[in-house]
Amino acid sequence: MSQKPIIYKSWRELPLMTASMGDTTVNKTGSWRNVEPHHVEQVAPCSLRCPAGNDVVGFVTLAAAGKLEEAWHLLAETTPFPGTCGRVCPHPCETECNRDHLGGAINIHSVERYIADYFMDKPPEQKPGTFSGKHVAVIGSGPAGLSCAYHLKRFGHAATVFEAHSKAGGMLRVGIPDYRLPPEVLDAEIRRIIDLGVEIITGSRVGKDVSFDQLVHKFDAVFAAVGFTNSRPLGAEGDDGDDVVPGIEVLRKINLGMDDGVGNKPLVVGGGNTAMDVARSLLRKGKDVSVIYRRTRYEMPAIAEEIDELLAEGIEITFLATPVEVLRENGKMTGVKCIRMKLGEPDASGRRRPVPIEGSEYVIEADCVITAIGETTDLEFLPDDIRAKTSWNIPADELGRTAFDKLYAGGDVADGAGTVTAAIGYGRRAAIAIDAAFRGKPVADNAAMSPSLRERTGYAIPFEEINTAYFEDLPRSEPGSLKVSERIKTLDEVHQGFSEADLEKEAKRCFSCGTCPACDNCYIFCPDAAISKVKDDKNKLYLVDIEYCKGCGICAAECPRGCIVMKAVR
Amino acid sequence: MQKVLTGNQSAAWGAMCAKAQVVSAYPITPQTTIIEELADIVAKGLLDAKFIKVESEHSAMAGCIGAQAAGARTFTATSSQGLALMHELLHWAALARLPVVMANVNRAMAPGWSIWTDQNDSLAQRDTGWLQFYCESNQEVLDTTIQAYKIAEAVNLPVMLILDAFFLSHTYEAVDIPGQEATSKYLPPYKPSIYLNVDDPHAFGGIVPQDIYMEFRYKMQLAMDEALIAADKADDDFKAMFGRGYGVVEEYRLDGADYVLVTSGTVTSTTRTVIDDLQEKGHSVGLLKMKMLRPFPAEKVRKILSGRKRVAVLDRNISVGMGGVWSQEIRSVMYHLPEDQRPPIYDYIVGLGGRDVTPEFIEEIALDLEKRPVKDCDQVWIGLKE
Repeated sequence: MSQKPIIYKSWRELPLMTASMGDTTVNKTGSWRNVEPHHVEQVAPCSLRCPAGNDVVGFVTLAAAGKLEEAWHLLAETTPFPGTCGRVCPHPCETECNRDHLGGAINIHSVERYIADYFMDKPPEQKPGTFSGKHVAVIGSGPAGLSCAYHLKRFGHAATVFEAHSKAGGMLRVGIPDYRLPPEVLDAEIRRIIDLGVEIITGSRVGKDVSFDQLVHKFDAVFAAVGFTNSRPLGAEGDDGDDVVPGIEVLRKINLGMDDGVGNKPLVVGGGNTAMDVARSLLRKGKDVSVIYRRTRYEMPAIAEEIDELLAEGIEITFLATPVEVLRENGKMTGVKCIRMKLGEPDASGRRRPVPIEGSEYVIEADCVITAIGETTDLEFLPDDIRAKTSWNIPADELGRTAFDKLYAGGDVADGAGTVTAAIGYGRRAAIAIDAAFRGKPVADNAAMSPSLRERTGYAIPFEEINTAYFEDLPRSEPGSLKVSERIKTLDEVHQGFSEADLEKEAKRCFSCGTCPACDNCYIFCPDAAISKVKDDKNKLYLVDIEYCKGCGICAAECPRGCIVMKAVR
Repeated sequence: MQKVLTGNQSAAWGAMCAKAQVVSAYPITPQTTIIEELADIVAKGLLDAKFIKVESEHSAMAGCIGAQAAGARTFTATSSQGLALMHELLHWAALARLPVVMANVNRAMAPGWSIWTDQNDSLAQRDTGWLQFYCESNQEVLDTTIQAYKIAEAVNLPVMLILDAFFLSHTYEAVDIPGQEATSKYLPPYKPSIYLNVDDPHAFGGIVPQDIYMEFRYKMQLAMDEALIAADKADDDFKAMFGRGYGVVEEYRLDGADYVLVTSGTVTSTTRTVIDDLQEKGHSVGLLKMKMLRPFPAEKVRKILSGRKRVAVLDRNISVGMGGVWSQEIRSVMYHLPEDQRPPIYDYIVGLGGRDVTPEFIEEIALDLEKRPVKDCDQVWIGLKE
């Protein structure tokens, strides 16, 4: 090809059609440019929203590619509990999912669950970090404590967990019913943590069997993750009888296979997850259970699906009413006097405050009351000097660092967030902070993110940046679940997992917002052929030749998932 | 193999025999069954082609242009408003020298809405640089589709073959389908000399400065001149191989005839029977069938018509403000003959909007031609409700 100008002297010299006979590289169109494209991988909204810091797009797209073991290892970077979270997490990732605008959010929790369940019996090998000589005591074997211990072990530190109950797991063990989280799943995930080298001492209550000061003295750091253990009192007349029982106590008994110890017609008071869990568990025990909540469905703090399932199972919720007096005859409960409520001005939580309607009292028949109107902490294990400087919680920053020497805290005891996944994330961040303190290093701003995402510079791709021309409007897949008539008779797990075919179908729906899967659209569409593919460089997939890029932006427009941004040339 | 096919199916089967590799089309009555048949043929695997559904005729032609530029043999079909919508890209295909083949089913333009035949849609595209062939029978439609590729690819210009709405498009006839092997021999695979090819890169369709634009157009004119020869050769070769030929024009019982009726499309076959009847009654009248409009077979027409007493052109079209298009074309090529060899040429407007052109009308024209004063030869409207 000629790079010199061509002069035609006769029509005979012309080509058949109006095609260039010279080389267009002489035309350096880059001089037209006032903006230029940059390939920038960004963090998807799902990953950004995950309380545990999971790289959601990462594990979903690996699962879509059939790389389940890689997906498992990616999850292992952030959580030891994918099987648990895949079942009980209220999945805020799905709320944020951009796919919601095109067929429904990706069923992320079912994908996570599939990956976890696939390796449940035989997890891939995981090695602890090289031992640093440091040893951390963890108080509480709930999701925050075990997550912290797991990550500490991965970072090379020894971890010993002190658990007051006879079995490890904390609220996962005693607070979540088997029909949501089968004990085998929890056992397997805890087994994996123990196999990594974490020591768990059960039946050892700090403050009783071992003192807090002993721990501080013996260990290099202490992570307190004792969670919510105490139920708030009902605050109604006559609420001090044996027939008024905390919901978490009833759940604990049922979960540990003990007699629930309550009557046949229980009234559950409250609108949170404990209320839903205890009511549905008692239903499965053949009890004629109902729920009373002082506000409306809209204000209920419980996970929406759990409320739907409870209602589907035929449990009635009385809204806008609250108990004022427990009625007994001859020491035996006959009913609960309740008062109707109406909603007033919003309170500190932003929800509208319930206000009693005078003279509206009425009686609900019941032979016992289960309280589930909120839980709080028990900080009795702390020495008096520390106890004096705490309120309901142990004040800690988001990395679990407290004002007290060697003491870190996380999970519900620090933030009261109330979800398993938030606790897992808190435990991991504390492990990162403890590791940094041991090594005398600062903690990076984005330490809470999965290591796979830390290099990224952009955050939370909005739906508007997704080019929907490249995605089919496919519906979200839902795995099957037990029929209501079957599930109310047993504690068997309600929800099933994905089949292999469902998994593939669902994972492949993922837009993979902000993560470049090398689709080649930019390479194909560039009208100046200014984008080339880079070989042998894992971190760079495409190269823009700025001598020819005229800044048209077609590459950015045709990028299906927002991996190219146009920046002004200065 | 003989099959009973409609004219539309014949066009589809023609494209199949020619092994079109890309079909890019949009449906419109009365063309729809062409692309339905082709979609079916492609879906059944009888034709190894990519069938592209598009959102308009403009895109249909754009699809053909892109595919043809990439070196594929392409086919599309349309009609009337659809052809009009393609107009810009008809120029593009021709000026880019891409031998696209298209079937157009003649349908009158709207408004008033019509789905019935007349030739205004295709005649309005006369100056786009496409070759145009008007067919008389279903067999001719199929054969012309195959021939069209042979001619188009020989001269690098696109070809439009034309069939009348309903009279051909939806009417069944026994049609002989040439064998695949013989067709492949007649029409070898499309091998363009220059096309979108990463191993030999060129930029296509870029700006052409003032100093060479005319030269590109001159080359197109030369290609049209070549097409006169290529069309005859394609027809001769076809006849040698398959036993059927049509000619770009056809003389029917013209020996010694003083008066000549000139027709195109399906009006021709009706006229044949009228000529038979009139000759039997002693009238000296014959028929000239025009198949090819572009390139215009000027020499052949001059030779056939010179020295006749009078010529009647049956125009199933009207260039309002001037008259029938075929008559203008014929008058203009006859003009520079010596005056004594130049017959008066009468323009009869017939059958617009699909109105039947009956044997009675045609006979009326033939008899009118013998006696009408020469000064009244422009625009004689036949069958008009006065």
